[in-house]
Amino acid sequence: MEKLDIPQGTLELMILTILSREPMHGYGISQKLAALSHDLFQVNPGSLFPTLYRLEQDGKLKAEWRASDNNRNAKYYKLTASGKKQLEQHRQRWDRISFAITNVLEGA
Amino acid sequence: VILLHRLASIVRWLLRRKTSEQELDSELQTFIDLSAADKIREGIAPEEAHRLARLELRGVEQTKERVRTYRHGALLDALGRDLRYAFRTLVKNPGLTIVIVLTLALGIGANTAIFSLIDALMLRWLPVRDPQELVLVKFGALERRALGETLSYPIVRALADQTEIFGGVGGFSAATFNVGPPGSITKVPGAMVTGGFYETCGVTPSIGRMLTRDDDKENAPAVAVISDGYWEREFSRNPSALGESLLINGVPVTVVGVSAPGFVGANVGQVADITIALAALPQINPKSAGLLGPGNFWIRALARLKPGVSIPAAKARLASVWPGISEQVISPRWPADRRKAMAQYVFDFSPGGTGWTFLREIYRKPLVILMTVVAAVLLLACANVASLLLARASARQAETAVRLAIGASRGRIVRQLMLESLLLSLSGSIFAIGLAWLSSRFLVNLIPFGSSPILLDLTPNWHILGFTIAIAVATGLLFGVAPAFQACAAGTSTILKESARIASPRSRVLPSLVSIQITISLVLLIGAILFVRTLQNLQNLDPGFNRSGVLLVSFQDGSIFRSELLEDVLHVPGVVAASISTDTPLSGSTWSEPAMPLGQPLPQNDNAIFMGTGPRYFETMQTALVAGRGFDESDTAKSRTVAVINEAYARRYFPDQNPIGQYLSTTARVGSGEPGKPRILEIVGVAKNTNTHGLRRDPYPVVHVPYAQLKGDFPVTFEIRVSGSLVSASAAIRAVLQQRLPSLPVEVRPLSAQVEATMVQERMLATLASGFAVLALILACIGLYGLLAYSVDQRTKEMGVRMALGALPNSVIAMVLWGAVRLVLIGIGIGLPVAWTASHWIQSMLFGLAPTDPRVTAGAVLLLVAAAMIAAYVPARRASHVDPVVALRHD
Repeated sequence: MEKLDIPQGTLELMILTILSREPMHGYGISQKLAALSHDLFQVNPGSLFPTLYRLEQDGKLKAEWRASDNNRNAKYYKLTASGKKQLEQHRQRWDRISFAITNVLEGA
Repeated sequence: VILLHRLASIVRWLLRRKTSEQELDSELQTFIDLSAADKIREGIAPEEAHRLARLELRGVEQTKERVRTYRHGALLDALGRDLRYAFRTLVKNPGLTIVIVLTLALGIGANTAIFSLIDALMLRWLPVRDPQELVLVKFGALERRALGETLSYPIVRALADQTEIFGGVGGFSAATFNVGPPGSITKVPGAMVTGGFYETCGVTPSIGRMLTRDDDKENAPAVAVISDGYWEREFSRNPSALGESLLINGVPVTVVGVSAPGFVGANVGQVADITIALAALPQINPKSAGLLGPGNFWIRALARLKPGVSIPAAKARLASVWPGISEQVISPRWPADRRKAMAQYVFDFSPGGTGWTFLREIYRKPLVILMTVVAAVLLLACANVASLLLARASARQAETAVRLAIGASRGRIVRQLMLESLLLSLSGSIFAIGLAWLSSRFLVNLIPFGSSPILLDLTPNWHILGFTIAIAVATGLLFGVAPAFQACAAGTSTILKESARIASPRSRVLPSLVSIQITISLVLLIGAILFVRTLQNLQNLDPGFNRSGVLLVSFQDGSIFRSELLEDVLHVPGVVAASISTDTPLSGSTWSEPAMPLGQPLPQNDNAIFMGTGPRYFETMQTALVAGRGFDESDTAKSRTVAVINEAYARRYFPDQNPIGQYLSTTARVGSGEPGKPRILEIVGVAKNTNTHGLRRDPYPVVHVPYAQLKGDFPVTFEIRVSGSLVSASAAIRAVLQQRLPSLPVEVRPLSAQVEATMVQERMLATLASGFAVLALILACIGLYGLLAYSVDQRTKEMGVRMALGALPNSVIAMVLWGAVRLVLIGIGIGLPVAWTASHWIQSMLFGLAPTDPRVTAGAVLLLVAAAMIAAYVPARRASHVDPVVALRHD
């Protein structure tokens, strides 16, 4: 199946959404993203990790090392309060954008 | 908040750069492992699974680099590399680096030194609680533009009672106390304050207690607070100092506390080692008790407004309560109209957290001028360094071209060059701070005032450090722009060609930088010569007396005078004449009274300076008598009252008449007579004019009366003319007088020092301005020399060709010198109008010459041209020695 490019600016929103349910490591996030998008999105680790690091530096995410399900030491990311707020804002904006686009498309 | 996060992450990164690299490594490894494990579960062979997982990452290293660039550390990392590179470049060329750093150290150091003086004198907060809240109380008639700052003791106390307006009001005045038992009395600088002073300032004791309102009551026991420094020097920090008695004017005063270290009163520059409540003044000096009355305005007051009360609100409330208060605090002896006027006076406030000092009035303008001068020196140093760097940049063109060719961005190269500039200017500023600290002591010694030393806190603080770093960065950016710009302008292709260095058109920037330096140094030279000539004019001015060879001894209390004292002094070897007077010319204090020719009404205000003088005063001071006689032993308390007037008085009040034998009427307390009735004086002589107030002021009308005929308390000063060494004579005179007057400190000082003290401003400006002008001239000459040496070097081939074609060495020298002359002429052409415009700004500080004095201008131009020719001759000579054979092989 043909993979889709992740639209500009939405990777952050999707990462925050996934992490808002439970803390997860980098590989877990990429798997979850693929699963939730029915394999239409495949995130490139070369984009994923820089985004994660940036979010961590800006204080949106907090990371800690702990054992993964199969006993590997993995870095788990989790949302901070400021991250939750960011998600809230991104989410609202996204909803308005998609509402607007849908309206335009259907109105035409 | 985001900024804070970023900052924190940079700090974290710096602390654990290693760990974060490792973390990234193992995180990516986990990703690969987990991914591979999933693939194995799907049935792919383990090795293949790992390979595929790695592929997914699209290169572990690339991913890592992308993460790194997201981390802010990456920028620092690159900066660190650039910094190391810059450092290596500078070390590789130590000669140039040392010259640049020294030039900058001198330029920045001069700025730091002058700024630290400004800081100490004007900007430093007093070490008190919340100094920014303190205000200085001002008071005066609304019509007058500048309100006064002095209040009477009753007014300060009345203000302190206004608790609805003020959180506290504290009056203060500097004082000098005679401390110790008879025979070993020392003068100790101190202060007299009102009871609310320490509470208002919020100064705490390190032991004991501070003065309170209870100490500032009539007949309260006399107690003192001493400074931490005095406690250290006199009591070796022994707590038993509390309760000790200090003998002040022979009166025991109990030490009750030591103020916290650092606080030495609110008079900046005058350390208060002993502080006493004003109410104790009648006890330690009964004759001065009148100073506490309502007619004497001599106390300054710091106040803290009540929380919530704004300055306009405080002014408004004071305006409404003042008429009520004024009835009690204005002297009832004053004429009614003056009392009425004062009841309409207004209060105002100025920031008081930096204390008060008379030095600010005197030195504000000189310091502003000097700050401008050192800024100009720094600008010149920048031009100098920029030209050095430009010359080096062309030598580095090949390096720059290679870096550009292998893909360095222009931004990166500019950053690199700017970093080098900043590194240079910051290293310069490190030396500058040391230089400034060493020289600031010398600077303070340039501002002595009278006999009390000026003690300013000049230890470098955050103001000074911040100032220095700020100007260092500004300097670095300024002189770094030119080379960076040039590096960028050059294209890669041309530079890589071997011959490019010669083919490239010669830059216009370099010569114009040298002309800028010439311009600045000419302006500074003209300014310096103007100040030096002003000082010389003042020193050569005839003040109407001969100041050299005269020693002075002053006593506040004239009643100690007996004629035997003068006899004793006359017996000291080397003393040729001696007299006494109430005060001396240019001492800073004068006595004035109304005095008119008999028959004319006496004016309301004083119209003449009065001076009580003893026999042979005019001989001792070598003031010529124009007519009549001076005073002698026949003028006693019982003889008829006589006067000697000066020419200014004679000219104004006896125009076209012979004043000798005429009479004056005056309110001065001379001779006997009914109280309140004017006294009559017969004029027996006319003396030459003397400058009483200042050398710059035209002489005032003066009336001399015999000291012996004065009635009441007057101070006394001995004038002693000495032939030979002043030092040994003053020691002998001191010994003789001290023996006779064991309970008073005897200080012998030369009259010339008193005259010099009126020229401190001019002396400071002349000394520093010429120092900085010489520095500027040297830097400009170095700049000129550098440019010519560089261009001669670049044109070696051309010189060789000229010589080979038969040019004489002298014509080559002339050619190089002509190049220098052109630059100098351009500099002078710009410099003269600038100097003339700027010198109008200092016109009020000049004396005896116009700001555009042609001799000054000519002198400065000559000096500059001579120095420039010396600087230019060395490279010119070298050019004439070029060997054509060697030169043509060059390159």
